[in-house]
Amino acid sequence: MKNNRGALEISFGWLFAIIAGIVVIFLAIYLSSKLIGNQQESISAETGTEIESLLNPLETSFESSQTTSITIPTETRINNKCNTIGEFGEQLIQLDQKSFNKWVETDVNVNFHNKYLFSNSEITGKKFYIFSKSFNFPFKVADLIYIIPATDRYCFVNAPSKIIKELSELNQSNLILEDCEDGDIKVCFGTSKCDINVDFTSNFVKKNNTKLYFTDDEDSMNLMYAAIFSDKAVYECQVKRLMMRTGKISSLYLNKEIVIHEKGCEDNLGGDLGTLSELAENLNGSIELESVKISADNIKIKNSARTECPLW
Amino acid sequence: MSFMVNKIFPENCKAQMKIQQMVFMIIAITILFVLVGLFFLSISFSNLKKTATNLAEESSKLLVSKLANSPEFSCGNAFGTISQSNCIDFDKIIGLKEEIESYSDFWGVAKIEIRKIYPNGSRLCNEANYPDCEILKILDKDVKTLSYSSNFVSLCRKESDGKIIYNKCELALLMVASGDKT
Repeated sequence: MKNNRGALEISFGWLFAIIAGIVVIFLAIYLSSKLIGNQQESISAETGTEIESLLNPLETSFESSQTTSITIPTETRINNKCNTIGEFGEQLIQLDQKSFNKWVETDVNVNFHNKYLFSNSEITGKKFYIFSKSFNFPFKVADLIYIIPATDRYCFVNAPSKIIKELSELNQSNLILEDCEDGDIKVCFGTSKCDINVDFTSNFVKKNNTKLYFTDDEDSMNLMYAAIFSDKAVYECQVKRLMMRTGKISSLYLNKEIVIHEKGCEDNLGGDLGTLSELAENLNGSIELESVKISADNIKIKNSARTECPLW
Repeated sequence: MSFMVNKIFPENCKAQMKIQQMVFMIIAITILFVLVGLFFLSISFSNLKKTATNLAEESSKLLVSKLANSPEFSCGNAFGTISQSNCIDFDKIIGLKEEIESYSDFWGVAKIEIRKIYPNGSRLCNEANYPDCEILKILDKDVKTLSYSSNFVSLCRKESDGKIIYNKCELALLMVASGDKT
């Protein structure tokens, strides 16, 4: 050793301290990165749950629509997911937030069964406009909630007067009725050269070469709006969920008819409600909506004729 | 030989002492880090639990204010030509109680209960004694719950005196409690 003067002499103590130091520092970095990851997941879950709570007041009673907006402090990507598992299907939202200009993806899903969110599968932004509309088929089934990022501008061209009135009342700055600009998503009625085209003769919305079928009353165009603001996967899934709930509520009215019949009310809707329940629960896609609507319309007429004991 | 052993032993002993010192030091530092980490984690988890509880309570408060207007509960136009807000259709929800299995996770709460304000009794409603009862437990999960949130509602039903059918509405309290998941 004494002859080897060029060699670096490190005592055992130093060597041990260096190795131990590296291990401690590595552990500290590993644990802090894990902690930050967990923190991100908890923030995503928390924000998701807060969004769910914020959606509760959007439930309509006698009013036809409600509008609000949410602003999230950081750039957020809302993943709108839906499935038809179980009795009512599930609405899931999963949030990814930007941190140091990079998306931090989490796999935390916030799920709820009594909400129907219509939007594209992925929407990004800090501010989101939300409005809700009551969906009746023929009785009230649910409130449809539409979420649009404030940065997405929808320009409605040649819209019927009823739609112009409804959109004006919503007073959302990203729903434009005149003077379309480049970059706007153009929604056309009657013509077919826009990003989104609405056809009232066959009742469908055409976008990205896919057709989303809707069926609405003259006084409410709620599924049409849903088709405009959603992509195919979300729309079809939510329509299926809505029909699942229609089936369940039909059964409730069927029970109610039996209860009030004992008090002297007529019972002329039982068979029709059973048919509606079956048709609605077996719906395979929006293309079949029209056939269920015939049954719903029939029930609506019969219920309106019941002056003393309407079911709803 | 014995001279060599004597010379080496004190140096070895010194080195061993140093290593032991170092090991103890590192163990102490690691324990300190772990303790600080645990302290930090416990604070962050207790905050998380508090946030979860607050969110659940807030959610049930918001839900109770709107639940009466949801399709399974609401009167719609059944008791008059103008839709009533915060009106629950008693004839409809007695059927809901029978189908509650399907709805057990639907509203994301553990308990939903309706209590008539007057007459103030404790008879639980079922199909047999309906409508002569005071408490209707629509959803009653056997779980630990947070405190109840409540809202006043009209509880309406059809009644008949044998000749005419009329609407009867009573004042009631709609109560909702979320499950305590902490």
